[in-house]
Amino acid sequence: MPADRTTEPAPTTWTLPPLGALLVAIVLIACAEIGGAAMVRFKIDLARWARSTMLRHPAVHGLVGVRDVDEQVLDEALVKFDAGLRLFHMHAEGMGLVIIGTTMVAVTLTASPVSRRVIVLLLTIGGAGYPLGYLAWSALIPYHGIERGKTLAEWFCWGPFGGATIVAMWWLTAVVAARMVRR
Amino acid sequence: MKRPPLVLVLVAIVMIALGETSGALMSLGKSPIGAYARARIAANAPAHGLTGSLEYDDEIRARTTFATEAGLSFFHTHAEGVGLIVLFVSTLVASVTTWRTARRALYTLIAIGGLFPLGYLVYGFAALELGRDAAIELAETWILTPLGSGMIAGALGAAAVLAIRLVRRARA
Repeated sequence: MPADRTTEPAPTTWTLPPLGALLVAIVLIACAEIGGAAMVRFKIDLARWARSTMLRHPAVHGLVGVRDVDEQVLDEALVKFDAGLRLFHMHAEGMGLVIIGTTMVAVTLTASPVSRRVIVLLLTIGGAGYPLGYLAWSALIPYHGIERGKTLAEWFCWGPFGGATIVAMWWLTAVVAARMVRR
Repeated sequence: MKRPPLVLVLVAIVMIALGETSGALMSLGKSPIGAYARARIAANAPAHGLTGSLEYDDEIRARTTFATEAGLSFFHTHAEGVGLIVLFVSTLVASVTTWRTARRALYTLIAIGGLFPLGYLVYGFAALELGRDAAIELAETWILTPLGSGMIAGALGAAAVLAIRLVRRARA
C-alpha cells in the first residue's frame, strides 16, 4: 500500500517547481523588462499613437472640439495610459518572482498530488495573467476610454486571474499551516 | 537549497497572500473604503481637529483619507516584496549557515522583519482613529522601526555569514 504522504514529515530541501511554471515566470519577468525598456525608448511614439487613436474616437472620450477642454481630457487619458504600462512593468516583475517562490513552496509542501497540481496551475496562470490586465487596460484606453477600459480589464484579467492567485495563495497558506499543526 | 523552518515559510506565504488580497480590496472597494474613512473621521472629530468650517474640514478629510489609502497601498507593495524576501533570504540562511545558534538568531530576525509591512496597515487605520500625525508616530515607533530593524539586522547577518564563508574558502 502506498505511504500516506500527508502524515510524512515535510521535506528539508526545496523541490524544483515544474519547468512549465518556471518558463512562464521567466518569460513574464523578461516581458516586464522589455516593457520597461520599451516605455523609455518609445515613450513619444506610444503617446503619439494613443493620442491619434483617441482623436479618431472622439465620442468615446467625450471630446467636444474645444481645444482647452479636449486637451485636458486627452492629457488625463494619456496619464492613465502611461500608468497602465508602468503598472504592467512593476506587477509582471513582481508576479514572476511570486510564481517562482510560491510554486516552489507548493511542490515541496503540498502532499496531495491533485491539490499540488491545482495550486501550481492557479499560481502560474493567475500570476501570469493578472499583470497582462494592466497592458490590456493601456491598449484599451484609446479605443474605449479610461473607465470602460478598466471595466473590461477587470472582467477579463484582474478578476479571474487575480482571483485565481488569491485563492491559490490562501489554499497554500492552509497547506503550510496544516503541516505545522501536524508536526 | 535547504528549506527554512515552516514558521518562516508560513510568514512569507501569509504576507504574500495578504498583499494580494489587500490589492484586490483596494481596487474593488475604493468607494466603500472612502465612505468608511469619512465615517471614522467624523466619529473621531476631535482627534482630527475638525472645526465645523466646511472648507477646512474637507481638506482634513481628504488628507486623512489619502493617508489611509496610502497606508493600504504601501502595505500591498511591501507585503508582496517582503514575503519573497523572507522566503529567499531564509532559504539562503538555511543553506549556508552551519552554526546552529547563528541560524536560529537569523531566522528570528527575519521572521520578525517579515511582519514589518503590517505597520503600514496599522498606519492606514490609526490615521482614521487618532489623526495622521499620531498614526505616523504610532506606526513608526512601535512597528515599522523595530520590525524593520529586525529585517535589516537579519539581512546584514546573512551577508556576514556569506562573507565569512567566502573568506574561509579563499584561505582554504
